Amino acid sequence: MFLQNLVNSLVLGSIYVLIAVGLTLVYGILRILHIAHAGIYAFGALMGLTLYKLTGNILVSMIFSAVLSGFLGILVYRYFYRKVLSESRIVPLVISIGLFVAMQDLYRLIWGPYKEAFSANFNIPDIVTENLIITGDQIFIVLVTVISLVALYFIMNKTRWGKALKACADDLQMTGALGINIERTVMLGFFIGSFLAGLAGVLVGIYDNSVYPTMGEVPSYKAFVVVVLGGFGSLKGAVVAGFILAGAETFLVAWKGFLLPRDAIAFIAMILLLMFKPSGIFGRETG
Amino acid sequence: MKRFLVLILLTMIVVYAISVETIKIGFFAPLTGFAAADGTSALHGAQLAIKLINSKGGVNGKELELVYYDDALKADQAVSIAYKLVQKDKVIVAISGSYSGTTRAAAGIFQQLKVPMISAYAVHPQITATGDYIFRVGTLATVQGRAGAHLAVEKIGAKKIAVLVIDNDFGVSLAKAFVEEAKKLGAEIVYEEKYPLGEKDFRALLLAIKKLDPDAIYATAYYSEAAHIVSQAKELGIYVPIIGQEGYDSPKFIELAKNHAANGTVITTDLDRDSEDETVQWFIKTYKKTYGIDADMVAASAFDAVVIAAKAIEIGGETPEGVKKGLSMIKEIKGTVTGFKGFTEKREAMREITCQVVIGNRFHYFWKITNPEITTP
Repeated sequence: MFLQNLVNSLVLGSIYVLIAVGLTLVYGILRILHIAHAGIYAFGALMGLTLYKLTGNILVSMIFSAVLSGFLGILVYRYFYRKVLSESRIVPLVISIGLFVAMQDLYRLIWGPYKEAFSANFNIPDIVTENLIITGDQIFIVLVTVISLVALYFIMNKTRWGKALKACADDLQMTGALGINIERTVMLGFFIGSFLAGLAGVLVGIYDNSVYPTMGEVPSYKAFVVVVLGGFGSLKGAVVAGFILAGAETFLVAWKGFLLPRDAIAFIAMILLLMFKPSGIFGRETG
Repeated sequence: MKRFLVLILLTMIVVYAISVETIKIGFFAPLTGFAAADGTSALHGAQLAIKLINSKGGVNGKELELVYYDDALKADQAVSIAYKLVQKDKVIVAISGSYSGTTRAAAGIFQQLKVPMISAYAVHPQITATGDYIFRVGTLATVQGRAGAHLAVEKIGAKKIAVLVIDNDFGVSLAKAFVEEAKKLGAEIVYEEKYPLGEKDFRALLLAIKKLDPDAIYATAYYSEAAHIVSQAKELGIYVPIIGQEGYDSPKFIELAKNHAANGTVITTDLDRDSEDETVQWFIKTYKKTYGIDADMVAASAFDAVVIAAKAIEIGGETPEGVKKGLSMIKEIKGTVTGFKGFTEKREAMREITCQVVIGNRFHYFWKITNPEITTP
């Protein structure tokens, strides 16, 4: 039973991490609380299902949908955030909340209010032993997460783009003064973050076998818990926090049932951390 | 000249409006937000009933008109809609196609303004307790819980039962009635655990249940949670019957369950898909044709609420007082799809409880509970 719960936490954690990493990237560079990130996640899922119905190929649909999500992220930056970057940080936050609500209703008008099944098969066999069952879906989710994280690590540490992104996160103006194209770098950050959100949307859609316009509602605030726990803007922190949170939730539920809803557990963890180590698990002391 | 033309046009509109007198029925449901799917189903069910009645000549020679608003599942919005329906639209009866919270909020206003309201499928006991103008077409949670116990113990033969409870009015009142009745019938409740609305991961709870090896699982849920429960039970190798209620009653339950995991699930509900009743067959067929999706319990209940309201107008006359009188006088009527048999003194619907089983990814007849001791609210 312990092993089974561990596997389930790993899968749940993978999903948290994929959503939160994108959010962390955006926060790290622009210091914007990007609520509409969850809208992009829902877009990824809805688009993924539409493409899957058209093509019948899950890998192609997933990647294509994630790319479209990436471009949607760039659009959100260019047409909504860019103009208000010099304003108080509350301004982009309010824009982001409004945008998220509008996105959900737009999706409802396009895709209808009903939950749609997303039953795609990855052709990965289930692993069934006496004490442990791992489904093909679960293997696939963890696999995609691992590949994405390795790719992200490579981009951030071994390429010029990644170094530019990190430099922007450190000091936007200084980086610009040194001759790096900030505009392009920020758009890259939005693209990568939104790409991962779209990917997460498709994976969750398949894992839960349901896709619907308001599926971003819980992630819209839950992802923040992961970002805060990880220490605002720290990618490594978000990854570790995502898995720890998923594990804590799963084992608490297994041990005591739902004394509190899952999300309440997450928020209590966040409040406790903010009280005792406000910079987060991997946060830099200077915010 | 232009002004003259406009004047003529306006006069024509007014004359037309007066000549086609309609009877207005109010309706509210969540058409946006996370409950939009149920709200839309309810609206479609109600609209289908209006269409059917009007195609047969309406009521007292007049056409019915459905005046509907979106409550977005917000209690304050439901309250202002209630005022608007009564004071601006002058409806003589209103139907709630919404959940318990909003329906309770609106019920107080309708009671105060003395206009009858029918709750289509909201289950909270307090709704009808608001006052003598508030009626309910859906089946009270306590009746369904009781019926579920008889289904589990008598029909399925379960001795050890695990209970999963969705943590809201709906789930808690269902589970309470179920557990009481099941114990009375001699079954043992080996596990009982609550979970929050909207939960998607039941694996930890199901693992604990698996270890106890029960004969059946009684899970109170709506179709999304239910789809997750049956999928994950199958995934974890739990093969005992899972028993549900009307919350499962949607084609979406079967569709959202992975790998056909819904098959074998048994539920207590209102709508018997295999009924040979003419109206039921017409409803199931026409609903699918008109809206492109299979009818569910929510749509069926809203449909019946309109049919019952129309009948009450016919009996009692076209005033709120008349409709109220008509509603309390209605006994068994033809043309409903949920087997409605009139209201009790406490304005709760009476009906037989049908049990449906999912076979070949469709709901089918399984059992019927007719014993009035069980089915009377």
